[in-house]
Amino acid sequence: MKKAGKEVQAKTETKAKAEAEVRTEAKAKAETKAETKAKKKTKIRKVHNFKWWRNLVAKFAIYFILICVGFVYLEPIFEIIAKTFMSPEDIVDPSITWVPKSLSLNNLKVASQVLKLRSTLTNTILWSGGLAVAQTLVSALTGYALSRYEFKFKGFWFVMIVLAFIIPTPVTMVPRLMMFVTAQEATAIQLIGTPIPQIAMAILGQGVYSTVLILIFYTAFNMIPRVLDEAAEIDGASSMKIFWFIVVRMSATTILIVFLFSLVWNWNETYITGTLLRGNIELMPSKLDMFNSEFEDMASAQGGAFRLNKAYKMAATLISISPLMILYLFVQKQFIQGIENTGITGE
Amino acid sequence: MAKKKENPGKKSAGGAQPEIKRTKSGRTKGYEKRQNRLGYAFMAPWILGFVIFTLFPFVATIYLSFCDVSTNVTGYAISFVGWKNYYTAFFRNVEFVPALLSFVEMVVPYTFVIIVVSFILAYLLNKIQVGKGLMRMIYFLPVIIMSGPVMSQILDRANETVQQAQGLYDGYDGVFILEMIRSYSPRIAMFMEGVFDQLTMILWFTGIPIVLFVSGLQRINVSLYEAAKIDMANEWQILWKITIPMIKPTALVATIFTIAQLGTYDTSAIYSLIKTATANTNGGFGFAATYSWIYCIIVLIVIGLAVLVFKDREPKRRDIW
Repeated sequence: MKKAGKEVQAKTETKAKAEAEVRTEAKAKAETKAETKAKKKTKIRKVHNFKWWRNLVAKFAIYFILICVGFVYLEPIFEIIAKTFMSPEDIVDPSITWVPKSLSLNNLKVASQVLKLRSTLTNTILWSGGLAVAQTLVSALTGYALSRYEFKFKGFWFVMIVLAFIIPTPVTMVPRLMMFVTAQEATAIQLIGTPIPQIAMAILGQGVYSTVLILIFYTAFNMIPRVLDEAAEIDGASSMKIFWFIVVRMSATTILIVFLFSLVWNWNETYITGTLLRGNIELMPSKLDMFNSEFEDMASAQGGAFRLNKAYKMAATLISISPLMILYLFVQKQFIQGIENTGITGE
Repeated sequence: MAKKKENPGKKSAGGAQPEIKRTKSGRTKGYEKRQNRLGYAFMAPWILGFVIFTLFPFVATIYLSFCDVSTNVTGYAISFVGWKNYYTAFFRNVEFVPALLSFVEMVVPYTFVIIVVSFILAYLLNKIQVGKGLMRMIYFLPVIIMSGPVMSQILDRANETVQQAQGLYDGYDGVFILEMIRSYSPRIAMFMEGVFDQLTMILWFTGIPIVLFVSGLQRINVSLYEAAKIDMANEWQILWKITIPMIKPTALVATIFTIAQLGTYDTSAIYSLIKTATANTNGGFGFAATYSWIYCIIVLIVIGLAVLVFKDREPKRRDIW
């Protein structure tokens, strides 16, 4: 029904347009005062028509540009995926760029063997998940303090939080390392090469991009009405209770966003982890970084039957990014929303 | 702010205890004390961590950059040597100055290109309705998967492609427009070649700025555009007179994000230099401190420049063209 109605409407519109054009011609010949009203109408319609065409062309151009740029973004990922499923013959064959002749899962098999997929993946998930929990907790506390209390030197601390983001990591790394080494020797507890230093840093709010997480919480908490706090306060709730039962309960989405961002950033972080953990726990990015040498080791152990080629490395890259990509597919809206929130605060 | 204004009004309207002492902002002293206490209680973990793991190391780095650090049985032996490390960094070490220059050469044009490209993309994204979410999803994807090793993978790949291309037709020689630009100024042509060589890498840094710009564009009041349209302004004029001035604060945030991201992007030459110096436990720490301190100053200068560029100035009065 609706469709039919639309068609009828469209027909009448085209008819009206045709008529209007005929009328304009007629009017050009004989302009009378009685027809001025009709003339105005046709003029408006004509302008409208013109704009409609121009808009269509503009829209087309915009989509064209956006899709082209989108392809440039995804091109490396497409290539990684394509190369992953190619057999060694396909890789050397110059006539094949995108679609492999036969689907080969061999690359994936070899790459997952070299990466020791199962243990590395569990390690990485536990590692980044644990750090993310610590970071989320402390960022929530800090964000709550900034959003709810008017303490002295608040502005100063705000600047410091931003400064902690701007200062590049290497600047603080040498003294941090020295501190941990000194502490290790003083207490005879192994610190370097264990997760302890980074967990301590995450719990005390100095993990990867902590500032961004704090700002996400700050904006989200500001959006929760204060009336609720006041009501709870009148009913005798302590500030810890208000934080836990009102603010935390009302911002489940924000907590998820912050946790996921923290997870992803800890997953991808290599500099601090490389300096403090020194590869003692096998994590995905560092494994990928050392893929060439590990592959050589394994190949020589198995009698040198395998030769390193690009496809293996591409397969390893695909394996290492696929958990994050799957995660992103499900919660991409939340990720984008989180960054939008920091933008609002930043201004 | 609203709370500040409300509170004294409420109290005076109640007016039950006029003898309570008030501070300048009109609150009771007890209230302020409580706010201070609770605020600092919740901030405590962060402040503690900041002092231990950021502020102290930051100051220590400055001190260490003037020192010679060597390991002995009891720990570290630190001896003050003055400007020696700086002298070595700038005049003896053949790698440091080129690495620093290459970083500056990377960060300044990259930031510029990233901000401009992401603004254009966000502006275009804002003009469409269908497929906007999907497009934004694609543009944001690199933020999720970008890490040092993955990036170096992609860079390797890009370099290979470029080498292949060079084998065939030697880079971009023969591209008419580029040749024109080259005859005018070889430096601009070189810059453009660099941008095109690493287009994917540059684009991968635009994920966060695009999202910031899109949300910034959506927050511009529509009535401003309507007013401009009534005054017969065309799209181009609206872009320059309304959109860009209104988007400036967002642009600053996006720039800081970008520089911070580029600054922590750990495959640059200066990072590997600092890493090797840190790995050298005997006497390397002093140099590592010096390198990273100089590096930090450079990053802060670049961010300062960005702030200067995007700072709100008094609008100049000009006739509408």
